Amino acid sequence: MKRSFGKLILASLAALVLASFAMAPFAEAAAGGGRGGGGGARAGASGGGAGARAAAGGGARQNAQVNNSRADARTNNVRSTSVNNVNVERNVNVDVEGHRGCCGGWDNDYHPVATAAAVTGAVAVTSAVVGSIVRSVPPSCVPVNYGGMVYQQCGSTWYQPQGSQYVVVNPPY
Amino acid sequence: MVRQIRVLNLLAILLAAPSTYAQTPPAGAAPAAASAVDQASIQALKDMGAFLQTLKRFWVSTELTGERVLADGQKLQHTATANMDVERPNKLRALMHSARSERELIYDGKTVTLYTPAQKYYSTVEFVDTIGGLINRLEERFGVELPLSDLFLWGTPAAPLDKIESAMNAGQDFVGDDLCDHYAFRQGKIDWQVWITTGSKPLPRKIVITNRADEARPQSVSMISWNLKPTFKDSVFKFTPPKGATKIEIVPLKTK
Repeated sequence: MKRSFGKLILASLAALVLASFAMAPFAEAAAGGGRGGGGGARAGASGGGAGARAAAGGGARQNAQVNNSRADARTNNVRSTSVNNVNVERNVNVDVEGHRGCCGGWDNDYHPVATAAAVTGAVAVTSAVVGSIVRSVPPSCVPVNYGGMVYQQCGSTWYQPQGSQYVVVNPPY
Repeated sequence: MVRQIRVLNLLAILLAAPSTYAQTPPAGAAPAAASAVDQASIQALKDMGAFLQTLKRFWVSTELTGERVLADGQKLQHTATANMDVERPNKLRALMHSARSERELIYDGKTVTLYTPAQKYYSTVEFVDTIGGLINRLEERFGVELPLSDLFLWGTPAAPLDKIESAMNAGQDFVGDDLCDHYAFRQGKIDWQVWITTGSKPLPRKIVITNRADEARPQSVSMISWNLKPTFKDSVFKFTPPKGATKIEIVPLKTK
């Protein structure tokens, strides 16, 4: 089921890729912004006066937003990740099946099933398909922070902000 | 371990005698280690931890490269950055950037705030403890990881060194312009390396963590920069909701 669903997404994704070449500049601009931020962070030497660079590292980032609508559906099928700290207990006994096995780090805001599928112009209707992308969410949605990530909960449907859009995700809990 | 020693031996021979590598190894070269844990490397961690604990007010940033392993074992890299203003024992402001989000975590010793500037949403939790206590609480109760949390745990009982199964000195290396001592450790399913500034200010400048729990061995690389004489004001630790900001609920982790 999951596999056939993936194929379906791939097919629609292919259509989307053809249809959305205009989106490419957004992605490139975002990459440039990331490098700018990194450069600022890299420049600081130990004990040196890196205060100004700190501001540059955070502030130099462009306002461009990441657009992942062209990303392959497979990129969201994540089985495990790198870890960022050596002294957290879960790192010593990493449990890849556990609730924190995937996607828990501060660097990793990829919801396991934030699958890009299609952009619809209107507000989502009931029982939105996981992976579909909308430009806005119903006004009845309630924003909630779970695991450090912001979601919009609309009854049984959950959205995760992704740039200026929202992607329908599986309920995080 | 034995294999590692052999490889090292071989490497030493190749380096020492490239034209005569076929000859038998010279006696006495590279004596076998009595223990997998080199105590001098453990001491270097202790020294670094002790020095970190002496820092009262500093700015630190990390540029992180992490990896996700897909279902079939293929790996994807991602990057994220974090800048932190810190005042021990209990004040911190972290700004975290990744591809999809920008988040702030502000702690004034009494209240911790999570803020997402894009949506102007913030959540607060009342909590009185040190930064180390905050790290545990956020992790266990809310599933929120603090960048570079090791920095606040090294040199404390929360970072026991007796669990390390292998420790070795990997020589010296440069990180940026800084000469560093390079150490490698093995602990459970984690292999990790740290580059510590050589000299009187033993600061970690680079950390590499390899997750051996997955055969694809996803790895993170953190490039760390420091400013021990920061210019930020105390007000950075106080969160005042910007105009139009909305307070939202933060839900504790559900155990499945």
